[in-house]
Amino acid sequence: MTLDEVRARMRAAGVEIREDRLELVRRLLADALGPVRALDTRAEKPLEPAVTFAAAGARGGDGG
Amino acid sequence: MAADELAYATIGELGARFRRRDLSPVELVRAQLERIEALDPVLSTFVTLTADQALADARAAEAALRRGDAGPLGGVPVAYKDLYATRGVRTTAGSAVLAEWVPDHDATCVARLARAGVVMLGKLITHEFAFGIQFPGHRFRPAKNPWSLDHIPGGSSSGSGAALAAGLVAGSLGSDTGGSIRGPAAFCGIVGLKPTYGRTSRAGVVTLSWTLDHTGPMARTVEDTALLLQALAGHDPADPASSRAPVGDYVAALGQPIRGLKVGVPRDYFHDGLDPEVARAFEEALATLRGLGAVVEDVEIPHIWDAWAFMAILLAEAFAYHERDLRERPDLYGEVLREKMLAGALVTASEYVQAQRLRARLTDAMAAVLRRVDVLATPTTPKPAPTFAAVHDPGFPFARSNMAPFNMTGLPALALPCGFSASGLPLSLQLAGRPFDEVTVLRVGHAYEQATAWHRRRPPLTPRGVIS
Repeated sequence: MTLDEVRARMRAAGVEIREDRLELVRRLLADALGPVRALDTRAEKPLEPAVTFAAAGARGGDGG
Repeated sequence: MAADELAYATIGELGARFRRRDLSPVELVRAQLERIEALDPVLSTFVTLTADQALADARAAEAALRRGDAGPLGGVPVAYKDLYATRGVRTTAGSAVLAEWVPDHDATCVARLARAGVVMLGKLITHEFAFGIQFPGHRFRPAKNPWSLDHIPGGSSSGSGAALAAGLVAGSLGSDTGGSIRGPAAFCGIVGLKPTYGRTSRAGVVTLSWTLDHTGPMARTVEDTALLLQALAGHDPADPASSRAPVGDYVAALGQPIRGLKVGVPRDYFHDGLDPEVARAFEEALATLRGLGAVVEDVEIPHIWDAWAFMAILLAEAFAYHERDLRERPDLYGEVLREKMLAGALVTASEYVQAQRLRARLTDAMAAVLRRVDVLATPTTPKPAPTFAAVHDPGFPFARSNMAPFNMTGLPALALPCGFSASGLPLSLQLAGRPFDEVTVLRVGHAYEQATAWHRRRPPLTPRGVIS
């Protein structure tokens, strides 16, 4: 992840981040996306995203 | 100020004293309010103190105890992370965005503890939206660590951890997206449980990341943690992720021997960059578990390094939740938090999905390991608490977390004291277990706790709150 890639992503997303914070954001994204980029998506075709527990139906809990 | 003996009484002890009538909830609440008044100007754990309501609730608890129909936690003084909605009481999420929000409802966890009879003393500071650090100049002051005022109490449930360590409350609630219950528990020398995803309700708790957020109890002992969990656990139709899995008897299992239970020790990832003092305390904790008859063995968790993809999920979900406010009133966010959240806009849809696929793979890998062992043991944090000066550097890295793998996999994970650094900062052991097997996690934690005395140490507070 380069600073230029961060800037390109910012333009695509329509957000502005202070220039002096870009390195912080670059490091954060590089760490977070490292495992994602290492994933061989062709070798792991049967792997589906994690699912959560089934929705429990109608709303309205015991928070009053 | 309340005597330490009273301020640090466990929930179990308080209940017994209430029933024997040698302590009244009103007397206790008055003592706790005096202690808060004396210590909190320095510790900054409370955002909102609800003293009048607490005294009224204590009187009601006292009447219920007299009638014999008090709830299981009747008269126990607690306070909540200010991320939990409380009807008629300001709920800020530690943020200027919600600084004046007064909910018209209680979070389900708050309602359940109220039904169990607790007395709410107030709301406890959280890191901004459970993610940012309160930098100097922020609308709300950060809580300080009672063990050393120069060190952070951990976050984001910072007020909860510090208030428990200082003996200001007997129990609390935190929320945990990547370690926000267990981190403060570790840095403050108390106990925190992140239950299985779906075990305790998230309804009425301000969201950070839907698929990673957990709610859970914080206390000073494992037994108190189990007592709180017992009141909290169970299906909630208001939380789409809430599970209908049967609720265990969390207290009954405590005290059962752990001889023959298998404790797996995953060293890869979890021991990377480990502080030598943490490593020593952790090995001593393993020796204690062996001494109790547990079978301790190293295990490998395939794909464990994928756990760091949790940050891609967190950032993307946090941005989705906050997008309108981030675009329309960005000035109400702390600037470092704002930039971290804006980073979520830079994660592509495909990357988010791939991160969730990695999560599924890691969940499978951990489930396979947990078919061979009953619990996993790791250091909760690789290092003791850092200083405020260190974390106030905007370039301070978001540390790789030993706790996040259990947010990724949704597994129950408990943090409890396992020693102290040479400088007097608490160190912590993390125990994680199978889905919905909080019973075994708490049982092992309790056995360890009863064999050690770390949980009995108190921070060096004086009546003026100054570290002696």
